[in-house]
Amino acid sequence: MNLTVNWNIIAPILVIQLILLITALVSLYKTSATRGPKWMWIPIIIFVSIFGPVLYFVIGRKDA
Amino acid sequence: MRQTILFYRKEMLEMARNYKWIWVPLVFLLLGVMQPIMSYYMPEILQHAGNMPEGTVISMPTPTGGEVLAQTLSQYSVIGVLILVLSMMGMVASERQSGVASLIFAKPVSIVSYILAKWCSAITITAVSFLLGYAAAWYYTVQLIGPIQITHALAAGGVYLLWLCFVVSVTVLVSVGVSSTGGVAFVSLAFIALLSFISSLFAKVFMWSPSQLSGLAAEWLHYGESARPTFAILFTSIGSMALLLAVAMFIMRRKSPIGTHA
Repeated sequence: MNLTVNWNIIAPILVIQLILLITALVSLYKTSATRGPKWMWIPIIIFVSIFGPVLYFVIGRKDA
Repeated sequence: MRQTILFYRKEMLEMARNYKWIWVPLVFLLLGVMQPIMSYYMPEILQHAGNMPEGTVISMPTPTGGEVLAQTLSQYSVIGVLILVLSMMGMVASERQSGVASLIFAKPVSIVSYILAKWCSAITITAVSFLLGYAAAWYYTVQLIGPIQITHALAAGGVYLLWLCFVVSVTVLVSVGVSSTGGVAFVSLAFIALLSFISSLFAKVFMWSPSQLSGLAAEWLHYGESARPTFAILFTSIGSMALLLAVAMFIMRRKSPIGTHA
């Protein structure tokens, strides 16, 4: 499996995803309480791409 | 008027504190960037997909720039709408649940400016997010796939933005009427899906329905000027958005225990 990938094209997607992920983690770190245990959200945010952070922002935050 | 501006600024501040100003535009940007790249790599992705007998040749017509941009819009119709509704479901409902609303309406606050400010702030973030994502999609499509006529892309973007504004208006109304945030999301999405479904079934009767907007935007990208007459749908959409807001204000006045100042 060797897809010829032009990294110049893919890079923006990765950068945006990374910003989303970091924002979610920062928000998680700062918030006092989440829906469900706080540590549970860390793997969700990190390993579920795009939808993990979104899920956290939509239902994880209590003040949302 | 001054009150509306005050509330508007409060809404904007709150959306910044909720990180909405970061994640909603980012998700739209991501959706916009991904579709053209997916189309660009589609032949290679298919070639590397399993279950293909040796030597299979897949010939795919190369899509035009307009087609790819239209595909992006159809992504927005599913995931974009979902994200919008989910990010705005608590606009009025959660404020009422937490008691903030009754705190606000303990003062002589006009319901009109309250709802109007909510709506304006929601429209602002929607417009910024969508335009950002659309511009990115446009750029990538031109770079990777092929040229698009500027007027067509602009017309399609404008028409589609109006559709998202309609979605936001529906969410504002439902957020006033339904008290649980989950319920707001469900009712809004169900209403929008039902409206789209019914108006695609009875296309003749629902010729001017706002749910035609997304289809109309795609038509602009596919056929350009020979798309359906646009202005009638624009008028009914703006009219129905005003109606939705008026109903939202009416329900709000009925429901709020103290605030009866209009």
